[in-house]
Amino acid sequence: MAKDRTQGEDFVTPLKRMLSGVVILCLVAIFIIWRIDSPRVERFRAQVVDKLVPSFDWAMAPVTGTINLIRDFQSYQRIVEQNRELRRELQKMKAWKEAAGQLEQENARLLDLNKVRLDPRLTVVTGVVLADSGSPFRQSVLLNVGQRDGIIDGWATMDGIGLVGRISGVGQSTSRVILLTDASSRIPAQIQRSGQTAIVSGDNTVAPLLSFVENPDAVRPGDRVVSSGDGGVFPAGLLIGHVALDPGGRLRVRLSADYERLEFLRVLRNPGTEIITDPGSLLAPTRTGETAQAGEEVGYD
Amino acid sequence: MTDGSATRLWLMRAGFVALGMAIIFFQLLPLETIPRRFTGPDLLLAFTLAWAVRRPDYVPVLSIAAVALTADFLLQRPPGLWAAILVLVTGTVKKRSTGLRDQTFAVEWLNISFAIIAVTLVYRLVQTLLIIPQAPLGLASIQMMMTIVTYPLVAAITVLGFGIQSVQPGEAETFGSRS
Repeated sequence: MAKDRTQGEDFVTPLKRMLSGVVILCLVAIFIIWRIDSPRVERFRAQVVDKLVPSFDWAMAPVTGTINLIRDFQSYQRIVEQNRELRRELQKMKAWKEAAGQLEQENARLLDLNKVRLDPRLTVVTGVVLADSGSPFRQSVLLNVGQRDGIIDGWATMDGIGLVGRISGVGQSTSRVILLTDASSRIPAQIQRSGQTAIVSGDNTVAPLLSFVENPDAVRPGDRVVSSGDGGVFPAGLLIGHVALDPGGRLRVRLSADYERLEFLRVLRNPGTEIITDPGSLLAPTRTGETAQAGEEVGYD
Repeated sequence: MTDGSATRLWLMRAGFVALGMAIIFFQLLPLETIPRRFTGPDLLLAFTLAWAVRRPDYVPVLSIAAVALTADFLLQRPPGLWAAILVLVTGTVKKRSTGLRDQTFAVEWLNISFAIIAVTLVYRLVQTLLIIPQAPLGLASIQMMMTIVTYPLVAAITVLGFGIQSVQPGEAETFGSRS
């Protein structure tokens, strides 16, 4: 018996060792290819995710629902207290709603007076969150809209209120959103009231850092932070959040979007920022025909 | 060498792949979209090691590689690196499993802890050398500690839940000739 066994091992072990060697080599090769030519492998990854995750979808929705239900159940203990609180808040909100209605009318009137036209090309595609990154080190979510819905890499993603992240990786029917909290997220932003520009850089915490602020003294906690549109990455003026000071004295952004429950996200169709290439020509009398035309144009404006 | 044991072997091999997929599935559920201060154990690593040390024939190289590579792709990690390290480490664990069979659980735990620490260190080292953006050190070490701490629980689930006992001395020859 013992002899049999050793013979068997002699025969099998080198084969097995070779197999595991080959497997390890293949894996290392994949890793090296990824390191050398990352975009191509990342596209492959998007395709893999595109194939695998929607096939989990039928199970994901009910399981997520059930777990959320159980979590909510724990909060039922405080329901009476919460109810009272909500009523009080609702009353406050009613006052605000009144004010908002009046302001909206006033705003519409003023916009009309100024002949301001809001960008009509900024439309949205709404998607449902399929999955999160699955790892505590990465902050991203997967949406159920992709190439077939016309999603393009780099578009901004918002929830109802504020900016959530940026599309990075598009599959046929899924796309990944890198959240503002991810360590690799950098968004050019503007701090309103003081008008300074800064970079909102995620660092895997709830509130991303505000870096490259020229004059931090002019920034006060509570100031609004909006996207600046610099670099043509995002449309300008999307609300990101409000400035806050952390205990270490650094400026951070308290995000407006509700990161606790990301369910439906809007992807903003961004046709791209127009770039002014014309350096501005000399204003000189030209041929008579053209002058008349130019005059007409001015008249229209 | 009976037919029943062969069926069981393939059943358990399929079971490992299914377990891996289930762990990935639960990690992907969109439950935690805010950054965490604290992180749970790496269950896939713990289960793979627990199975490898008990029944090396249930976790062949190919299924470990397939599950780990899928995890790499789905969990946004550098593809292939973690999988390669996992295959390497389970290889050494499998080799030692014959020796660990007669030891107490404490010895096994110690050995597995070294394996987990080695995986984490090598993974970080390679990432540092190749200048890949990596996870914060604090979170990574918390995850490593949690994996080590929860290993006895994982081992208990492996033994009681899945019914995977270490290879018995009487079984040794069948195991030796097959795998």
